[in-house]
Order: sequence, then C-alpha cells, then structure tokens
Amino acid sequence: MPVQSEDYVPFAQRPEWADVVPVPQYDGVQPLAPIFYTPEYKDATDYFRGIVKTGEMSERVLVLTEEVIRMNPAHYSAWQYRYRTLLAINASLKDELEFTKGLAIAHLKTYQVWHHRRLLLAATNDPADELRFLESVLNVDVKNYHTWSYRQWVLAHFDREEMWAGEVDYVDRLLEEDLRNNSAWHHRFFITFQRAGKDTREDVVKRELVFAKQKIALAPNNMSAWNYLRGVLDYSHTPYASQEDFVRPYTGTQVPLSFDSDVIDVENPLPSEGSRLPAVPAIEFLADIYEVEGKEGVDEAIPLWKSLAEEHDTIRKKYWEYRIHEAVTAA
Amino acid sequence: MATDPEPFTLPEDVSAQPVPIPPLERSRHVAHCNRCLAGLPASLTDIDSSRMVLAFYCLGVMDVYSALDMKLSASDREAWRGWIWAQQAGGEHGTGFRPGPFMTRVRQPGYTDASAPHLIMTYCALLSLAILRDDFRRLDRAGLVRFVRACQDTNGGFTTTPGADDADLRMCYCAFVVCSFLNDWSGMDVTRAVDYIRRCRTYEGGYGQSPGAEALGGTTYCAIAALYLLPQDTAPAGRLTRAEHRQTVRWLVHTQDGATGGFAGRTNKVPDACYCFWQGAALAIMGEKERIDAVALTRFFARCQHRFGGIAKAQDEAADPYHTYLASAMIAIAQGAGTWALGPLDPLVNATEETAAWARERVPARPVLA
Repeated sequence: MPVQSEDYVPFAQRPEWADVVPVPQYDGVQPLAPIFYTPEYKDATDYFRGIVKTGEMSERVLVLTEEVIRMNPAHYSAWQYRYRTLLAINASLKDELEFTKGLAIAHLKTYQVWHHRRLLLAATNDPADELRFLESVLNVDVKNYHTWSYRQWVLAHFDREEMWAGEVDYVDRLLEEDLRNNSAWHHRFFITFQRAGKDTREDVVKRELVFAKQKIALAPNNMSAWNYLRGVLDYSHTPYASQEDFVRPYTGTQVPLSFDSDVIDVENPLPSEGSRLPAVPAIEFLADIYEVEGKEGVDEAIPLWKSLAEEHDTIRKKYWEYRIHEAVTAA
Repeated sequence: MATDPEPFTLPEDVSAQPVPIPPLERSRHVAHCNRCLAGLPASLTDIDSSRMVLAFYCLGVMDVYSALDMKLSASDREAWRGWIWAQQAGGEHGTGFRPGPFMTRVRQPGYTDASAPHLIMTYCALLSLAILRDDFRRLDRAGLVRFVRACQDTNGGFTTTPGADDADLRMCYCAFVVCSFLNDWSGMDVTRAVDYIRRCRTYEGGYGQSPGAEALGGTTYCAIAALYLLPQDTAPAGRLTRAEHRQTVRWLVHTQDGATGGFAGRTNKVPDACYCFWQGAALAIMGEKERIDAVALTRFFARCQHRFGGIAKAQDEAADPYHTYLASAMIAIAQGAGTWALGPLDPLVNATEETAAWARERVPARPVLA
C-alpha cells in the first residue's frame, strides 16, 4: 500500500482544518479482525468522519477524500462522498476524470475507481477520449476484468457509431499480439452480436466463422477460438455439422498436405505447420457433430470421447466418460 | 504473426502418478485465520471497508475445520456476536449490516447515505452469526426485507447499498441467500432478478459480472447458486434449459487445468485456488460434481498450502483468509479421504451444512415447517 508517510502532514496539524472536530472510530471492546491502522490513515479518516457528520461539502473535502482514497482505494464511502461533493460545489468533472486516470492505473483491480469513473463519464456525457484512455490501461494489464466490463459499458451506454466503428480493428490487434486473450475474443462477440438494435446479417455470421477458423488454424488447441466458433454457430442456429470438413483435419495426428497450395480454401483452413495434433477441442467438436445424429452417430462419437478420456485430455476423464454414458442412455 | 507457440501441457495424468499427496495442514490453516481474527496489519487497510467479509472467511475456516469449540471461548464468541450485531443498522431503506464501524463514531443503530448497510456485508453477517450459533433474536426481519427491496435496481439486479447504481451478480446472489434464509421472497421481484441473471450469460456458457461482461468463475457461481435457491413455486422461471445446463457444465469442466489440476476463472487464464471453489461449487450445485478430477484438484490444493499456514491462490504465493476459506470449502465439497476428509458443506449458501441448517431454522420469522 503506497502510504506517503514522509510527506504526510496530519490534518490535525493543518491550520485550515482547525475548525473541524475529528471523529474517532469506535470499534467496541473485542472487535473482529481489527486493523492496526497507520497514524496517517487514522488521522485522515477521523477528519473524514468529522466532515460527514457535519455534512460539509466544499473544496477541501476533495483534498481530504483524496488522502483517504490514496491510502484505501476501496473506501467506497469516501468515493461516494467525493462524488456528491463534486456535484454540490459544481466542480469540473472533466478535471476529475483527468485526476482519476492516474488512480485507475495505480489501482486497476479496485472496483471503486471504475465505478467513480463511470458516474463521471455519464454525467459529463463526453466519452470522446475514453476508449483511447482505456487502451492505455489495457496496455498495462490486457485482461483486466474491470477495465473490459467498463469498456463494454461505455460502448453500450453512449451507443455512438464512431465509437463502435473502431472496435473490430482494436480486437484484431490484440489477437495478433495474443491469440489466447479470451477477453478480446469475448469483446469481439460483444461488439458483433450484442449491440442493441443492430441486426446481425448473414454475411457477418459468415465473416466471423471464417475469422475464428483462421485463428484456429494458427493455434489448433486454443480454446478461446473454439468457444467463439461454437458461440457464433449457436447464435446463428447453424448446425455444428456444417463445420465437419473444417474440423476433420484437426483430429488427425499429422498436418495434412494441401494438394494445391495455390488454392486456399478460406472456409476450411488447414492446421498450420508445426501444430500440435490432434487438437483436443477438434475431437470434442467432431464428437458433438456425431452425437446429434442418433445411434449410429453416437457409435462414432464414443471412440472419440474414449481417446480424450484415455489419452488426449485425461484431466477430464470422468467428464468424457459421463458424456459417453449420457449419449448411450439417450440413444 | 507467430504460429502456434502453444503452452505445452503435461501429457501425464497427474492423478495416475503414484506420488502420495501431502496432508492437509488443518491446524496451521486454523491458526492463520485465528491470527487474522485477532488483528490485521496496516498493509491490509483496504479491507477496512469490507471487514465483515474477512470475518466471515476466517470464521468459516474455523467452522469447516470444526475448530470453533476448541479455539474460541464462550466469551469470545459472545463478544464477536456483539460486534456483528453492532453493525446492524436500520433507516429509511430498511435494515442491514455494515462492513464494520469504519464510518461510525459510536454504536449507531441508524444510518446516513455515507454509513448505509451493504448487501454483501449483510449476507456475510448472517452467515457469521450462524457460525457463532447466534439465536437471531436481535434480527430486524421486516427491516431486512425492506432493505433487500431497496437494493433492487430498475434493471432487476441488486446494488451494494440502496440507490448505488452498481448492480452486479455478486449482490444478486447475496439477495437470493438472504431471501432464502428469511423464507420470504417479498423483498424482491423474482422475475426481474432472474431476467437480470439471464442477461449476464455469455456465449461460452458462463456468466459475466454484469450484462455484456466476459464469463467469469465467481459470478457464474453467483448466477447458478441464485437460480437453484429459488423456491419451488417460482423455480421454473429460473431453470436452465437442458442445452444451457450442458453448455455451462462444459465451460466449467474445461476450466480445470490439466497441468496443475487447479481451476482457472476464465478461458485461457492461470489456475487459482479461489476458482477451484467457484467453478467446483457451481458444478456441485448442478449435480455434476463427479465430473471433476478430485485427485488432481487435491494435489493442486496441497501445493497451494503455505508452510506458515493458510492457503494461497497458487504455489509459492502468500496465503490469505479468502483463498484459505474457499479452498477449504471446496475440499469439504470434494469429500476426500484421510486428512483431506472434511465437510459436509452446503454449496448453495457456502457454509457447512450444520451452519446452513442453523440459519434456515432461526433466520425466518416463523419456524419452517418440516
């Protein structure tokens, strides 16, 4: 915890705070899990409770709540009181957005930082620079959950064409850097299929299927890409069997040679050279195709599940055995 | 672009190796949490606004290891019950519990916006009181129903404090447990709450923290547990279709990592002891516990044990009550053998069965008829 104890001047020693009566915390005689606070935190929160008691909302409350927040960024009451104070004294919310940029990066995993920012952005109604700022935050931690869900909120809340427009390129770039970034895959699904009031045309579904398959070709065991492929198929009610030609080469042990390297089948890209095969998600997928084809299909799926249980994916042995049991019972 | 630099997972089945699993260090884990209950260093100041959660995890560890009678005197327990009750506060939005006295000067039964009760803390306080075998005579039941209602957002979800505009699945789950304990669902619009949960579901089969967000371990547990907590007469509204059930189970089992045996919270993330509970308990609730490789999971937990006590999120990390409790709770669900035999635990409310039964009997206004 960054506690700036050397520069810290206690509020009790600041002349401009002499009129405030500090209110110490009362924890009872035998508290549960008491925290041995630093003198600085005790001092700042004593004055914060003092301010809350009188209901004062002024410029100096911003100074005080900043001190409290720097020592405890999860102090939701300090954030909440700060926000109300900003509104009450008509402070510049733009300045506050600027101020919280540093805090957001320092405390990426603290929920309150993002919530505060959300309130500010909704109030200013000016999200022009926000996506760029979020990109800089994601550069620090590319899978940060709060940042991603906040980005999704920004897009959905303001719902501006120019903001949505750049998202596909952004996701593309992230996936070029790391094919296994599931947050980027999820975001791709969100911007493509979950944008309110936007019809998803057939060519979009086709484009996304091709996209997923080309990424699978580069890394055949990447579950994020397979989940995306399944997601698009489920969304568009397309049978998995439509992908049988694509999946089959991934279930073998060797990368198949393409007969004519001049002709590239974009809908059925082959595994790239050096791929680790067979790909577990491909075996699973092929078995799923067979399973819905009735008893004969199940007979073909069983050896696939067995190979997962016994050889290729033994951690899920009991799951694959259960799949066999379930399919046999249903068939 | 680089092609296929895939992380190589161990081909061997860890559970097939004849290496013995080290024992579960029960007394050390209890000692770790007992130390935290006695006091926390200043480096944990950010716990200040969620102390009730930490108290619940520490007491939960004592409960899971049946160490309450051994480690705590009757006067300790009475004092701690008193501390928890001191956090109960009533006001214009009803009655709930605060995280601790971080915003209060003296025993303050009333509240302002800055010191309002908090839905997650309320869930933790009720469970902590049940662990301490409180008689719940001091519970303001009518106020609690009003408080839950005041936390329901217009979007169907639940906020931390009334009107906070911060709804997500964590508070939704807490609201469901509170209503279930009270055996009184008048505090929520169930249809809208279920609709909110549905909107958090993703194409992967898990649930994000809020609508639009990526499938995540903890919040998937919250969604599944909430739907299964629905009382018989309203349950059909929240039931998963067969296809949804299968898809969720598939996503959950695929987060178990073949190399370490631990569970990750999201696709392609590293395993973490807390997600072993969130993912594993969700499977247990769905009646699919047997799909887990429990031996590999136990090995993972064994490696997460810290030599000074407590369980860490992963090997060679520092232990804390959060990971110690959730790992221990999952060990109890997994029903292992030898030193690893614990339990039983109720995965729906996340407490030992005895504690859950205690709460169900004493939290409602009238005793539940068998």
